[in-house]
Amino acid sequence: MIPRNARFWTGAAAVIVLAVIVSLSRANEYFFFAGFVVLQSVVLATAWNILGGYAGYVNFGTAAFFGIGAYMAVVVINATGAPLAVQILAGAAVSGLLGLGTGLLTMRLRGIFFSIATVAIIFIAETLITNWRYVGGATGIQLLRPPLMEPFGSYTRMLFVVMAVLAVIAVSIARYIETSWIGRGLQAIRDTEEAAECSGVPTLKLKLFACTVSGALMGAAGAPLPMYLSFLEPASSFSLNYSVAALAGAIIGGTSHWLGPVIGAILLASVQQIVTVTIPGEINVLVVGVLLVVFVVAAPDGVLGLLRKLRGKLRRPRAPAESPS
Amino acid sequence: MNISRRNWLSIAGALAIALGVSASPAQAQQPIKVGMSMPQTGSLGAGGKAALVALKMWVEDVNAKGGLLGRKVELIVYDDQTNPALTPGIYTKLLDVDKVDLLIAPYGTVPTAPIMPLVKQRNLLLMGNFSFQVNHTVKHDMWFNNAPWGTAASWFDGYFIAGQKLGAKTIAFLASDQEFAQNLANGAKELAKNGGLKTVYEQNYPPTTVDFSSMIRAIRSVKPDLVFVASYPNDSVAIVRAVNEIGVGPDVKLFGGGMVGLQFTPIMESLGSLLNGIVNYNSYVPGMNYPGIEEFLQRYSKKAVEAKVDPLGFYLPPYNYAIGQMLEQAVTATKSLDQKLLADYLHKNEMKTIVGPIRYGPDGEWATPRVVQAQFRGVVDKNIEQFRQPARQVVLYPDQYKTGDAIAPFEKARSGK
Repeated sequence: MIPRNARFWTGAAAVIVLAVIVSLSRANEYFFFAGFVVLQSVVLATAWNILGGYAGYVNFGTAAFFGIGAYMAVVVINATGAPLAVQILAGAAVSGLLGLGTGLLTMRLRGIFFSIATVAIIFIAETLITNWRYVGGATGIQLLRPPLMEPFGSYTRMLFVVMAVLAVIAVSIARYIETSWIGRGLQAIRDTEEAAECSGVPTLKLKLFACTVSGALMGAAGAPLPMYLSFLEPASSFSLNYSVAALAGAIIGGTSHWLGPVIGAILLASVQQIVTVTIPGEINVLVVGVLLVVFVVAAPDGVLGLLRKLRGKLRRPRAPAESPS
Repeated sequence: MNISRRNWLSIAGALAIALGVSASPAQAQQPIKVGMSMPQTGSLGAGGKAALVALKMWVEDVNAKGGLLGRKVELIVYDDQTNPALTPGIYTKLLDVDKVDLLIAPYGTVPTAPIMPLVKQRNLLLMGNFSFQVNHTVKHDMWFNNAPWGTAASWFDGYFIAGQKLGAKTIAFLASDQEFAQNLANGAKELAKNGGLKTVYEQNYPPTTVDFSSMIRAIRSVKPDLVFVASYPNDSVAIVRAVNEIGVGPDVKLFGGGMVGLQFTPIMESLGSLLNGIVNYNSYVPGMNYPGIEEFLQRYSKKAVEAKVDPLGFYLPPYNYAIGQMLEQAVTATKSLDQKLLADYLHKNEMKTIVGPIRYGPDGEWATPRVVQAQFRGVVDKNIEQFRQPARQVVLYPDQYKTGDAIAPFEKARSGK
């Protein structure tokens, strides 16, 4: 039997190779626009899950880290004109630092109070950017895309591959954290923080680490946005929708395993993309809410939990035909 | 039943012929697809819905006349939720999956900006929809905005000209500390300086301000001739209320200029008589004799009530109907859907629309901007219908559509119900 690790890395490599092949094919351009958004959701949901799923700290500030990542890319473009890879690194670094800072300030809070504090970060970040003329201020900034990079036929195709690579990196990091001592520590924090602390788990250090990694990945997800849109403005970049979508993706998929956010984000983002171009009007905005409510009520452990339950039922020896009532 | 191979062949042949016969007229009658995204939810949703009613009216009208080039017109619209992150995907779908023939931009600057590189890259004609300086960086030569403004200066030219006619010497500025309002105010300050007006008061306020009484008192104490306000809807309402409570003194000749929100029906209705005397920018007010606009607004009004959107529809709907008219004129004249030919036609010819004749400059904005400055007069409370009367908003600028002179000072105009 192939060891788990080898299976994972083969799968990861296959995803990247597949993304490259599809991007070089004659597939419809729309597929790449929609695909980019779906992969971006995978990165965000996976990043959210590192703190929200493993450690149980519900973070509503995804939009802040994502937006700061996007705006750092704008700063890099304006200041140096450096390529996309540098923009992503800069976005990840600054959002990671923001995550660390946020962690230092808010980790004394727990439960709903922590969540409220993370919402505040969005407003602080948005206000800062709104008043910073260098990156376009309130009206936003238009950017011109650099010339095409061979062998890709369009810039969006290249961004699609970049986002696929980011998704694989994010999932690999999440999986590493989950399966290592860090993940076990975070899970102990989620179950009972006091007990974890008493058992020698360095709770503050682990929480700060999770905050930083989660923030950095969200920033990396945001960094390609300016080039995807060739335009950026604060109100939509710091939209609470990103926070809700990241959280919803993880919860719908299941928070206990790295695969959960991947499944949830793909499901949710694809449904949203389809609904946007099929159902007119307000109904498409309802989709996330309805899906979230349905899953919280019907499958509190997400799609993964549901699958596990089904598998458990199938494996269980068949019950006697007539059970005593 | 046994069917021989020959029978199969003849059945297949007959089917093929039947399909071929029925397919050829269907091909000829394939509709001309016009595609766009329109904010129907989110911050621009209310305006977007009203604009969509007008565009659908154009589609009905043009189809009633037999369509374009003998083909019916079909409008394909998606809701972009006022979210610029959605528009590139939507427009790619319109182009690559729905295979639309003509494109209209979504209402507003923010949802439009991300699709500019796409249309430039693919050399496509794009009809703009009330955006501001969106083609500034991209410089696409097949872009045509329906908005009556061009540069920032075009928003307040009329206000200063009206002020100069009244012999104004001093001016006070009150502006929201946000990009757009600041652009307006900075441009206005420059214009004031060049026109020899002395600035006696200048205040930028944070966008979250709700109490303007201290600023209005300060303006009152410096006795300016003109007060130029660049504000957003919520601030505009608060400023109008503060002015009516405190007053700005007998010296102020004109008050207003760049107050966003006083064009929107719900705000006009809720402020009612408090609006009297204010001179403010607008895109259209009743009494401007554009051919066909009154008939359009009557028909629009019925549809708007059914669709539960803005019943007056002065601000955005006529300009959206005009987009349809421009496309119709260009396609009919060139007898083509070739994007380059259509763009050339739009560049070289005057467009006849219900918002007056439009000629385009090289940047795709109006060669002669036509931002209206109008003064509210005789407005009473709680009455939407009154705004249909030309006497409620008197056009001071531009001169060819002028319906009256400014009443000054402001306090006199304000109290003269």
